[in-house]
Amino acid sequence: MGQSMVGLVQNETVKLLRRRRFLVVVLILAILIPIFTYAQYRSVVTAQERMGTTDWRPLLTQQIVDMQNRLASSRLPEEWRDFIKIRIQQQQYYLDHDINPMAPGGPTFARGFMDQAISMFLPMIIVVLAVDLVSAEFSEGTIKLLLTRPVRRWKVLTSKYITMLLFTSLTVLTTLILAYLISGVVFGYSGWDLPILTGFEVTDGELTTTGAFMLPQWQFLLMQYGLGWFVCIVVGTVTFMVSVLVRSAAAGMGIMMAALISGTILTQMASSWESSKYLFVVNLQLTDYLNGTLPPIKGMTLPFSLTVLSVWAIAALVVAYLVFTRKDVTS
Amino acid sequence: MAETVLSVKGLKKAIGGKPIIHDITFDVYAGEVFGFLGPNGAGKTTTIRMLVGLAKADGGDVRIADISLQDRFPEAIAQVGCIVENPELYKFLTGRENLEQFARMSGGISTQRIEEIVRFVDLERAIDDKVKTYSLGMRQRLGIAQALLHRPKILILDEPTNGLDPAGIRELRQFIRRLAEEEGLAVFISSHLLSEIEMMCDRVAIISQGKVISVGVVNELMEQFADQVEWTIPLSHMEQAASVLREIKAVTEVWQSGEERLKTRMDIEQVSAVNQTLVGKGVPVTGIATKTVTLEDLFLTLTGGGKEHGTEHGGTRTK
Ligand SMILES: Nc1ncnc2c1ncn2[C@@H]1O[C@H](COP(=O)(O)OP(=O)(O)OP(=O)(O)O)[C@@H](O)[C@H]1O
Ligand SMILES: [Mg+2]
Repeated sequence: MGQSMVGLVQNETVKLLRRRRFLVVVLILAILIPIFTYAQYRSVVTAQERMGTTDWRPLLTQQIVDMQNRLASSRLPEEWRDFIKIRIQQQQYYLDHDINPMAPGGPTFARGFMDQAISMFLPMIIVVLAVDLVSAEFSEGTIKLLLTRPVRRWKVLTSKYITMLLFTSLTVLTTLILAYLISGVVFGYSGWDLPILTGFEVTDGELTTTGAFMLPQWQFLLMQYGLGWFVCIVVGTVTFMVSVLVRSAAAGMGIMMAALISGTILTQMASSWESSKYLFVVNLQLTDYLNGTLPPIKGMTLPFSLTVLSVWAIAALVVAYLVFTRKDVTS
Repeated sequence: MAETVLSVKGLKKAIGGKPIIHDITFDVYAGEVFGFLGPNGAGKTTTIRMLVGLAKADGGDVRIADISLQDRFPEAIAQVGCIVENPELYKFLTGRENLEQFARMSGGISTQRIEEIVRFVDLERAIDDKVKTYSLGMRQRLGIAQALLHRPKILILDEPTNGLDPAGIRELRQFIRRLAEEEGLAVFISSHLLSEIEMMCDRVAIISQGKVISVGVVNELMEQFADQVEWTIPLSHMEQAASVLREIKAVTEVWQSGEERLKTRMDIEQVSAVNQTLVGKGVPVTGIATKTVTLEDLFLTLTGGGKEHGTEHGGTRTK
């Protein structure tokens, strides 16, 4: 009776692919990324027109001189001094390596794309992928065939969960590759080594730059897509639970969309409702911690958000397993 | 005696606090077709769901080939092939891909076995088409193929003839008889159609409102109820005829079955003797019809749907 997990995951993969779920995801990405690329291109062109010059070097040189002047002034606090030094290093790097910071390459676009996509766009795509992973078996009645095999229920569910993890990972990877390849057509493919500022910290609701440092863009991207992957896994896990609890794909989709959208609304207006920071949908914008954006609610840090997301995912998994292994199958 | 392939003892189930199944008990042996007969809502599907592990019983014991379904689910269910209600398969996959899915879940099933089973259910030509293009009959056959793929000891089918045309039903009937007689499989079939059970099954359990009312060999059960004779007698002599008939030993039961009609349950051999007695006592008998009891009569009698409404009892057919 040793049904290998590999065989079960293979079954689930065949079903997911033949239901064309992954194809839909890739198509959405392949259509939307060119649109975002074009929008980005327009904004670069407009910026250049506003400055009246296409030569960015004098502009950058001027910025460096300004910052050096500020450094010379003795009234500057010490931590500001360090931060400005790093900023100067960064600008100098651009000048030395002949990089126009206003005209991004493929890697920079991919970075900006993840910043924008992590809290809404990617989670929605993952919902499309995972929302009927379990519920379709119930609504189509095939659950009766699935559960009358010599395989325990928890194994059946595990094979589905593993498949969800696989395709979620594949989706994040595909996002990076497509963002890089498609935007590169317009912006070029260089910029992996571009220095990116990170390491900001928030203490008492204030952004401190004491720990700020520069990171080559490829490392930054790795961290960023790692966080994006984590967010997708959590959203995928919660969707997976909804798929166990709700029989109709439309209802599951509705629930998840409502959750994600209210998350976006809450992050914009919830600074007064502090305990909303324990909702998983408020903690999705993980890349902001890397960029040094102030968090929407006081007390939120990267470890805090990672913890909240992990707790939600674990709770969702526990509920999914408990319900799935106990549920009676009725028509 | 043949091996007991399915043994059900004291099965109970309540749904939403309402008891649906009370104390269902029966055994099914290898090589027999076992009918599970009951009207709509009797609890057939609910029972079958518990037999195949789709629902948990509140009490009682199910053993398949002497393996407890509750304690050793994978081993027990490996001996079962089933179609619960409709044969729902993955419509977006081909017939072959469907079978491959189940083969991977059961383990140890070769591609030759898949070929063999496809030939067995006569689906060779359509096996590489998507299931959504299949007719109901073809789906039914693919459903049977998936149920037999892993060589189970018992095949459990819930109302398998639903939606099939008469030719399809006949084909299925022959197919099921062949499985039991030639392959030695136990086949468990639920139905609300008495004629179907009568034609297909060796033994039957009759259930009503979640209780088994009777279990037995189909033919024996029917013999328990001696054959019936219907007498046509003028209204003026009805009461007299009835009291005369009740006196006669060979007659076990008498009731009025219609205007000018009296029915008796009795040995058919005795018809002319009884007729003579009636005529001798001055009862003018204007017609005699003998009828063989069908499972339908039996069923109505057992479930109490018959005798109280003697006049509605005329649904019997002459054989
Ligand atoms: N999920 C449920 N919730 C409440 N009651 C249910 C549920 N499932 C079944 N029942 C009740 O249990 C009883 C038995 O239903 P079941 O489907 O087992 O009957 P059946 O013998 O298969 O009938 P049919 O011939 O119509 O298929 C019915 O009275 C039904 O109302
Ligand atoms: Mg039923």
